[in-house]
Amino acid sequence: MTESVQNVSQPQIEVENLNLWYGEKQALKNISMQIPKNSVTALIGPSGCGKSTFIRCLNRMNDLIKNCRIEGKVSIEGRDIYGQDVDVVELRKEVGMVFQKPNPFPMSIYDNVAYGPRIHGASKKDLDGIVEQALRSAAIWEETSDRLKSPALSLSGGQQQRLCIARTLAVKPRTILFDEPTSALDPISTSRIEDLIMNLKKDYTIVIVTHNMQQAARISDYTGFFLMGELIEFGQTRQIFHNPQEKSTEDYITGRFG
Amino acid sequence: MVRERYLRQLDLLKESVLSLGEIVELIFRDSMTSVIDLDIGLAEKTLVLEPGVDKFEEEIEASIFDLLALQQPMASDLRLIVSSLKISADLRRIVGLSINIAKIPGRMEGGHVKPLVDTKRMADIAALMLKDSLMAFETQDVELAKAAAARDEEVDKLFYSVWVELIEMMAKDTSIISRATNLLFLIRYLERIADHCCNICESVVYLATAEKVRLN
Repeated sequence: MTESVQNVSQPQIEVENLNLWYGEKQALKNISMQIPKNSVTALIGPSGCGKSTFIRCLNRMNDLIKNCRIEGKVSIEGRDIYGQDVDVVELRKEVGMVFQKPNPFPMSIYDNVAYGPRIHGASKKDLDGIVEQALRSAAIWEETSDRLKSPALSLSGGQQQRLCIARTLAVKPRTILFDEPTSALDPISTSRIEDLIMNLKKDYTIVIVTHNMQQAARISDYTGFFLMGELIEFGQTRQIFHNPQEKSTEDYITGRFG
Repeated sequence: MVRERYLRQLDLLKESVLSLGEIVELIFRDSMTSVIDLDIGLAEKTLVLEPGVDKFEEEIEASIFDLLALQQPMASDLRLIVSSLKISADLRRIVGLSINIAKIPGRMEGGHVKPLVDTKRMADIAALMLKDSLMAFETQDVELAKAAAARDEEVDKLFYSVWVELIEMMAKDTSIISRATNLLFLIRYLERIADHCCNICESVVYLATAEKVRLN
């Protein structure tokens, strides 16, 4: 591991010796990493390398999968998220997630964003402000402010994805996980989401899985390279794309395999 | 193995830079021989090579821009491309300075004002620096690059001693000013060529280690 990401003084996310099995098959092997606060960390690697499995450990999405067994420790803001006392619903409020395919609920734009705050008990009078703030932060307010009651599914793919980001922001998470958020979007929508992610890191810690290496290089501060369930290298993005220390990282990012 | 065409383009780029280097070594050597022997025929043969070398360097540059624009090179590939761009620019400058040297014999009516012992020594060291810097590029040999660049110090020392000697000679005998000034230019060109070799060595260190160092 590169020196610069060792012993981060106040990591937002701290993973120690994480192992994960789907039945007999081990999908993550002894992963340890410290993800700094208010940064963008990109996870790259070929299909099946474990990067999506890993990101799903950070808000316990793998709990939903049968025969999935996890060992090791994941702490977020110093708290063991696999501890006995953890309320998973509360955890997922603090650690939001945006998926590959935009998945707005079949309801209005407004109700999509208001959904989370409502179930977490936000009062009616606060909702308008929360929705506007979330839509503004997700850079989609201008396009939607005059049609908040329209169905979310009438938006374009790129707009739907920003709406999903707004929906995530509305419950005020401190960490946001993105699982290939732009792989279904055109280049312009992609660059809007990329700009948005870079702006959001002021207030959030962001972890993004991406197949697009140029995207990782453009938007992230730190990059982790996964291969066959192992974290091969984790370091500053500049370092990883300029002078990786491991040959397999070099081979992957220069397109020698993968 | 994937991206075979891209990998061939990278190999070809490196070979092209090395070929350019060989031509530059030849031009530098012949320009020095022409000035030491005051061989105008050899000087003229050297002068006509410049446009072809410029064209070759432009082709290398164009292939580099294509690779950057079309292939999104990363890591050691990116470093090879960036260092090739810088090295070929330094090589082109060495050609320009060698061409200046080859123009001197035509202006030296009456012969040299002194035997060119230290000047030849400067040229020999610079030629060795050029050869070793290119070898270091080929093999990514950081130690060889650093050793080649270290010789610049001796070139600089010789430059100052010949400079002082020529100034003193001109002060004593004003009739040699024109020819002695040509030699002042010559040693200045040699000193600059050695500096460009140091730049090449710096590019080699960057290529091999991703570190930016100053070697002169």
